[in-house]
Amino acid sequence: MSDHRQDDRQEYGHQPAPPTAIERRVTAIESLLVEKGLITSDVVDAVVETYERDVGPLNGAKVVARAWVDGAYRERLLDDGTQAVGELGFGGAEGEHLVVLENTPTVHNVVVCTLCSCYPWPVLGLPPRWYKSFAYRSRMVREPRAVLAEFGTTLADEVEVRVWDSSADVRYMVLPLRPDVSDGLAEGELAALVTRDHMIGVVR
Amino acid sequence: MGGMHGFGPVIRNPRDRALDEPTFHEPWEGRAFGLMIATAAKGLRRGSLRPSIEAIEPATYLASSYYERWARAIEAQLVAAGTLTSAEIEERAATVGGGPMRSPAGDPDLSAAIPAFLTRRGPTSGEPVTAAFLVGDRVTVRRMAAIDHHRCPRYLRGATGTVERINGGWPHPDADTPEAVYRVRFAMRDLWGDDAEAGALFVDVWERYLS
Repeated sequence: MSDHRQDDRQEYGHQPAPPTAIERRVTAIESLLVEKGLITSDVVDAVVETYERDVGPLNGAKVVARAWVDGAYRERLLDDGTQAVGELGFGGAEGEHLVVLENTPTVHNVVVCTLCSCYPWPVLGLPPRWYKSFAYRSRMVREPRAVLAEFGTTLADEVEVRVWDSSADVRYMVLPLRPDVSDGLAEGELAALVTRDHMIGVVR
Repeated sequence: MGGMHGFGPVIRNPRDRALDEPTFHEPWEGRAFGLMIATAAKGLRRGSLRPSIEAIEPATYLASSYYERWARAIEAQLVAAGTLTSAEIEERAATVGGGPMRSPAGDPDLSAAIPAFLTRRGPTSGEPVTAAFLVGDRVTVRRMAAIDHHRCPRYLRGATGTVERINGGWPHPDADTPEAVYRVRFAMRDLWGDDAEAGALFVDVWERYLS
């Protein structure tokens, strides 16, 4: 069973694929709501554009870079993530109670949501497809090292793996270790080293 | 989903984990996401989508993509609220071509307010509440066979862990008043048995699920 099936859509020669059943259904719902004057298209557009354009993992990367260069900020971030990311201008839906988890040389944190796909939108944007997959949701809580290995992440035995199943109202983000090679880099250059995968915790 | 077997690898193909993955893989996914917010903002449906997502028949749930489940839940709530009927959705779905109908006029006030609403900063959520358990207490997750929406992962039931933090209080999905939610730490071995991987699992649990 796979929920990667959207990848499997076939191209029909040079014609675009005909709309799938769900695509027709979503189109029907929006069209009916518009036709009845219950919603306007620009409101739906505004939601889409917010997450396509403004809210994504670059926000979280800025938070991490700031924490790497500013010890006092790092302390505030670990003490109250919501407030501290707010200092950099980030907040909102699915980030109302943000907890930041610090990786150390002996601790590695990784985040999953087994009940649905809870994710800290204000700092990471909307989740990637694999985060929402049944494979990730079912396996990360049971065999994290095996799943991490699929991301090319191998941890020494003495590193404690901590899995966070975010099934209630708290949202989690990982503060990764600052790479050894980053001496002398400016904050903006540091942010460029940080990816979505670091902040979910599937890479070290 | 937690602990279930048989779903195979997370990463089947290197492009599955591409860092430039688009926010929405197809336009209809973005429209479904946008409708989720827009229909709530306009009061056309009520409440969290989660109960409606979980109410999807299991075989359909497993055969549906993420945004397909969202779309089904939005549809169910719009129908339940009397905003649309299943019959008119079926009828329109049979005849649509191309993208959704565009409204002749916009709603500039609401569309301008949407980004601010979605990214508004606020105080850290969670109400101060009375908590029956203290940090350091050993707690056991109750056994239950919930039939409706709940927020207690099945794999925790019967397991014993340690309270690490009192996160604050939030209303449980079926209540109006806040209830203590605890961060509980479980040893992997206490969840999965003697052949478990080393390490620990942390999960936030409403007080009602603990004893």
